[in-house]
Amino acid sequence: MSDDSQQNATPASGQGGAIRFEKANIVYPNGVVGMKDLDLEIKPGEFVVIVGSSGAGKSTLLRAVNGLNQLTSGTISIDGREVPKSGKGLRELRKRVAMIFQDFRLVKRLSVMTNVLVGRLGHVSGLRSMLNWWPQSEKAIAIDALERVGIVEKAWVRASDLSGGQQQRVGIARALAQQPAIILADEPVASLDPVTTHQIMDDLVRINRDLGITTIVNLHFLDLAREYGQRIIGLRFGELVYDGDAKTVTDEDFRNIYGREVTEDDVLDDEVVAEG
Amino acid sequence: MNAAGNTTLPTKPPRNWWLWAIVLGFLTAMTVWSGYGIGFSANELVCNIAGGSRLLEESWPPDFSFLPRLIDPFMETVYIAIVGTVVGGILSIPVAVLAARNLSPDKVTWFLDRNFMNILRTLPDLFWAMLFATAVGFGPVAGALALSVFTVAVISKLWSESLESIDMGLPEAVRSAGGSWLQMIQFSAIPQAMQHYVSYALYAFELNIRASLVLGLVGAGGIGMILETQRANFEYERVTLIILAVLVAVLIIEQISETIRRRLT
Ligand SMILES: Nc1ncnc2c1ncn2[C@@H]1O[C@H](COP(=O)(O)OP(=O)(O)OP(=O)(O)O)[C@@H](O)[C@H]1O
Ligand SMILES: [Mg+2]
Repeated sequence: MSDDSQQNATPASGQGGAIRFEKANIVYPNGVVGMKDLDLEIKPGEFVVIVGSSGAGKSTLLRAVNGLNQLTSGTISIDGREVPKSGKGLRELRKRVAMIFQDFRLVKRLSVMTNVLVGRLGHVSGLRSMLNWWPQSEKAIAIDALERVGIVEKAWVRASDLSGGQQQRVGIARALAQQPAIILADEPVASLDPVTTHQIMDDLVRINRDLGITTIVNLHFLDLAREYGQRIIGLRFGELVYDGDAKTVTDEDFRNIYGREVTEDDVLDDEVVAEG
Repeated sequence: MNAAGNTTLPTKPPRNWWLWAIVLGFLTAMTVWSGYGIGFSANELVCNIAGGSRLLEESWPPDFSFLPRLIDPFMETVYIAIVGTVVGGILSIPVAVLAARNLSPDKVTWFLDRNFMNILRTLPDLFWAMLFATAVGFGPVAGALALSVFTVAVISKLWSESLESIDMGLPEAVRSAGGSWLQMIQFSAIPQAMQHYVSYALYAFELNIRASLVLGLVGAGGIGMILETQRANFEYERVTLIILAVLVAVLIIEQISETIRRRLT
């Protein structure tokens, strides 16, 4: 049952959103080490960018926060409470931790509005969602979320009829509709062109600043990490090899994270960066 | 990986002619043996064709004056098929979802449902008609119930395979937004496989029209029953009319259904 009467997507957070890994390890069933002895603390409202070469364990880290990946040892806790492995506790936690995906993951044949309301599923009764019978207050939250990413006029359009950038905005709106304390974005711009990439990154930064939602973004372009991150975390073979301020990160640091020379493949587009 | 691009196609393995010969010989032997088994003889076939031609003469021309009396029974046949398709179509949704390996909540449920589905498929529609006839008596209701079961068998098997091939990224997104299992099914699995569902339901309807005719022959009502009574009374000119009318009607229905199905995909 929904018991909240807020009329907008301003999160019930601003309070909360602290994440803490302690001696956290993830070994996949096939023996691959996805996370190794990770000790990491992220404060409420931080905007953290994670970098590392392919297979370094960026997705593994993000997916551990909302329980999509289970630790094989160690602990991870959100606001002092350990992330449950399954059941009702996990579902409760996931209501407060939103995720944004590289491939958007929208229900293509359904309206933008329905897609955003998916972010409210945890807050309505099973019967209501079954009948697609949403309380006015829930719809108001969804509309507010769409306004925040500037596509409220697309509310009744089929998701498949949107451009990639617009689809990712719906993905962000769905995340916002959860009124989350934490947003996890796994390479949110990897399938977008450079201009759209900057727009989406700007959206994420603005939302983080305005609503104080803790935000972790996986990126593979170094210039983007520098430009948008407050704090940069570098991973290599599942291990934390860098943790520092985005303003002071050097090319030497990036060489160290990647274990190789940084090439022009690792930056998005100098010209667009200069313009933006 | 080979960056230079100098890949060579591996030599094609030689065809195994011996295997082919053995398979072919085996199939021939099976066919001949089975033919003997059912008492098939070319001689008899020729004699029966002669007898059959006499029957054909009696059956011509079709008795068109009988046509108006076919409308009600034909509609009954269609109604039986519709009820069977709708009831079976609804019931097949949970059966298919639980039988999809990627969606089923646990292995035990999956295993039980899968076997349930296979049992439904193994038993023919006539069996179900007899079973329901003993419960509710011969007639359209027993026919519709039998077709409901038949429909569940048809749709759930095909559709559970569609469900198994959906992109699992979306269900994961719904779960990670705090959605329950049921919400995950409703908002991510079913929308992805909806087109297939409608297509299979229409296909089941086509099968049900035909099955409904056959069930009529054994007393489930509708046009099949009229056909059987006219045949028993040696009214062959009416039988011809019924067969022609059914042929045309079924072709029309299948055309419509097929057109819709093709639009969907
Ligand atoms: N489900 C899984 N089963 C087994 N191994 C996995 C699984 N998921 C990831 N891995 C392995 O764990 C390591 C870390 O993977 P992860 O997806 O976290 O990397 P990543 O940094 O996100 O890479 P990318 O930039 O390519 O997305 C890789 O070696 C990967 O092959
Ligand atoms: Mg990844």
